[in-house]
Amino acid sequence: MGSIIFASRKQDLSVARASASAGAIKTIFSRFLPHKEIAAQVSIQYIAGYLFHLGLFALLFFAAPHVLFVEENLLGFGWTPLPHWGFIIAAQAAFLGLIILWLRRMVDPVLRLISTLDDHIAAILTFVVMLTGCFALLEGSTGLRLLHRFTVELWLIYFPFSALMHSFTFLPSRAFTGAWFGRRGVDS
Amino acid sequence: MLCLLLPQFAAADGPPKNSNYPEGVSAVNPGSELWSAIRQRDGTVLQGTSQVRGVDSGILINARGDQWARFRVSKLANYGGIAIAAVFVILLIFFVIRGQIRIEGGASGNLVRRYTSYERIVHWTLAIVFLLLALTGVILLLGRPLLIPLLGKEVFGLLASASKEGHNLIGPLFLVSLIMMLFSYVRKNLYEKGDLKWLLRGGGVIGKEKLSVGFFNMGEKIWFWLLMLVGLVVAISGLVLLFPNFGQGRFIMEISHVIHSIGALALFCISLGHMYMGSVGMEGALDAMTTGYVDINWADGHHDRWGKECHDKNLVISAEEYARLQGKKPAAGGDVAT
Repeated sequence: MGSIIFASRKQDLSVARASASAGAIKTIFSRFLPHKEIAAQVSIQYIAGYLFHLGLFALLFFAAPHVLFVEENLLGFGWTPLPHWGFIIAAQAAFLGLIILWLRRMVDPVLRLISTLDDHIAAILTFVVMLTGCFALLEGSTGLRLLHRFTVELWLIYFPFSALMHSFTFLPSRAFTGAWFGRRGVDS
Repeated sequence: MLCLLLPQFAAADGPPKNSNYPEGVSAVNPGSELWSAIRQRDGTVLQGTSQVRGVDSGILINARGDQWARFRVSKLANYGGIAIAAVFVILLIFFVIRGQIRIEGGASGNLVRRYTSYERIVHWTLAIVFLLLALTGVILLLGRPLLIPLLGKEVFGLLASASKEGHNLIGPLFLVSLIMMLFSYVRKNLYEKGDLKWLLRGGGVIGKEKLSVGFFNMGEKIWFWLLMLVGLVVAISGLVLLFPNFGQGRFIMEISHVIHSIGALALFCISLGHMYMGSVGMEGALDAMTTGYVDINWADGHHDRWGKECHDKNLVISAEEYARLQGKKPAAGGDVAT
């Protein structure tokens, strides 16, 4: 992240027509929804994307076993976890979203062409982590919980070297695009 | 003298000897009538009362539970396993006798689009969810007799636990995928003129006259509607089993389990035929659901009415055009490099 943020850039000598900062902040939030003109074409991507990301966020930070893990091993304090039915809904959404997104990557000819091995590994590894977590739900089996923790560790090792870093880089990426066009007075 | 005589007297006048235990003496259990009534062997249902408030909390012993357990092990698991094995054998025999159904006149290299990206995403989503559920379901139903001898009890315990949790979590996704599939494919699966004739002629097996077929033949339509209807029943019975906190008693849970298992087994067996026909059974069929495109000769040979529509609307593209659309270089001979 540091190498991205502190990378040197060519100085822009043109006269600024509008505020780059305003463009950056605007673009960070405006990209959460698709442009009207292409909304129909990208609807699957947005719907499945939100299903997956929101579901995964809810699972990661509000599933009771995870909250307990953080409390016992990391922070020393926890927070109110999701009720069981909430956890189930979040898990369904995450699984459905991920399956649809990965299938779209395989089925859409343009996405298929531009996808690399890294993209597929990231999707499959995330699915495996979620699946092993689902297997270990009963929490009575040490073996299954160990399997889940092992896959999580694999995922964490792979994370910084892969496309999964988009979890953090999406913010500076949107900000840079927004700043670049904002300075020129272009609505990105 | 009397002591010596006593055994003879005892033998002559005592209770009858138990033939299994020649040394023992048969006696009627004084509590047998009470327990027979509790077990409801005469068919009456005894509903007691309990301080615990809940569904079925007044029932001491569930007499039907034994029947359900015996049915599950002796009939359901047994016949279910035999059915699955039989389908594999039938498909193998069919393939050995019939071989792969080839494209009439061979592949031309000219293609027509059969399924859009969205239709393929919906199909494969349902397929992935279905296969995960089928695998975990078969492990839960047939795992004990088949897998314990292979894996041992501890490993099988892990596998069964994982399968149960996986099956329960992925289950509701099946209903969602089914609904997505219904909306995507229902229009092409409505009854058309000629479908009944196709069915009565066994899809062309009976008789020599060539049958006219639209986008989907009657066999495909039957599979679609079976999947929708039986799948809906399986999904709903699964939800009844998954969420037992809406007043379901043991009877409803037992019935739901039986319906769920029989429906799921039926779907799995038929799906094996679908998977066979869509892959090795018919040349060019798998391309439809992977690339979205089929050879026009395949369309003309198997779905002539749809093929004619494609010709009339000028939807046929060459191998070079297809390769350009996919961003690939066409291979020599007009085949599309995949």
